[in-house]
Amino acid sequence: MPSQLLALVKLHWGLKSITSNGVVIATEKKLPSILVDETSVQKIQILTPNIGVVYSGMGPDSRVLVRKSRKQAEQYNLLYKEPIPVTQLVRETAAVMQEFTQSGGVRPFGVSLLVAGYDDKGPQLYQVDPSGSYFSWKASAMGKNVSNAKTFLEKRYTDDMELEDAIHTAILTLKEGFEGQISGKNIEIGVIEADRTFRVLTAAQIEDYLQEVE
Amino acid sequence: MLTKKGLKPPGYLKTGTTIVGVVCKDCVVLGADTRATAGSIVADKNCEKIHNMAPNILCCGAGTAADTEAVTDNISSQLKLHRYHTGRESRVVTALTLLKSHLFRYQGHVSAALVLGGVDVTGPHLHTIYPHGSTDTLPFATMGSGSLAAMAIFESEYREGLTRDEGVNLVTKAICSGIFNDLGSGSNVDICVIEKGKTEYLRNHLTPNPRTYISSKGYTFSKKTEVLHTKITPLKELVDVVQVGGDAMEE
Repeated sequence: MPSQLLALVKLHWGLKSITSNGVVIATEKKLPSILVDETSVQKIQILTPNIGVVYSGMGPDSRVLVRKSRKQAEQYNLLYKEPIPVTQLVRETAAVMQEFTQSGGVRPFGVSLLVAGYDDKGPQLYQVDPSGSYFSWKASAMGKNVSNAKTFLEKRYTDDMELEDAIHTAILTLKEGFEGQISGKNIEIGVIEADRTFRVLTAAQIEDYLQEVE
Repeated sequence: MLTKKGLKPPGYLKTGTTIVGVVCKDCVVLGADTRATAGSIVADKNCEKIHNMAPNILCCGAGTAADTEAVTDNISSQLKLHRYHTGRESRVVTALTLLKSHLFRYQGHVSAALVLGGVDVTGPHLHTIYPHGSTDTLPFATMGSGSLAAMAIFESEYREGLTRDEGVNLVTKAICSGIFNDLGSGSNVDICVIEKGKTEYLRNHLTPNPRTYISSKGYTFSKKTEVLHTKITPLKELVDVVQVGGDAMEE
């Protein structure tokens, strides 16, 4: 099972007049061969306009979960006419994953998810495991090189980072365990700020940040 | 009790309505009035009849207000999930098919008559959907009780290749025709202009029925009532209960 490195950083950046916050999620895009069209692969997915997710593990399993989570979020929205809070969506997704550890004839999902969102409670970051347990993090990493990455984050993470710093930190954390040349084409970064809109950075935008980091 | 005296309860909330749509050169203009009726009572003087289906697709609804609201919400939700799944902008024909299939399944019991318009990769589109599930594809369309009044305007003044502003003016004229000539339609004109990559919702674009003669001073009661005489009568006699020694009540 190919395990990919993910670094996730949640940050608060307190500006002088506004307290804005956000979450950054990033992953390396490990492709089985150089012949694969990297634009066809997208590991960071959007669940709702204000919640995004990235996974570590089996891609096909993550697709099933993403599809289910999107539907659950939409059903919540239809019923309560309110965007689903991050905790609720995490809880429902975790419940599905747990179901597959207890039902007959099925196997547990081979993915760990990192759910990043921004709602009324502010920016949030959750990890959901195949067992169905979930944890909230300020900064976390999963997959290959997880111990190195976490140590790196422990040193680098501060409560009052700015968005730009957070993206740089994420890139540097990824760089730690990266094999080969890092570029806008083999990493993915997802960002959510105080505007509560989750977006995936384009390859060009990532290249700009990479140049700043150099 | 009142029914015995001859009062008929108001029926469910209908939108009465004049709704229209027009395809212009590279855009679609939708229009609606804002009166909601319950029988002959105006229940809402400024309701919203233009619903969001997708960022590039909108739908005007006539008929039973709850039905139009519910069906557009439902299909809007389905379109959203479809967008996430495909990673593409929604197409008007998708919304059309989802809506007509839903309405057909309910054999006309879902009383929603819709004017669906939008711009997608294949261009600008305008459709009408009837409660039983049939649809039409048209360059200009009207629905609702005021549809004849509005259609009269369209039939005499529609031309191919209208510009955005010409389209807005024509739609406004058509809705006004419905507002003033149909009892089921009234109040204000809502307009929506959908172009490639941009949607403009002009809520209350025209308000030809303002409330006249509102007193700006408000109301005051100048004279204070004089108190001539005060008499207080207690409603109950006050009784004192005195415990004369004795044990507490047995449990």
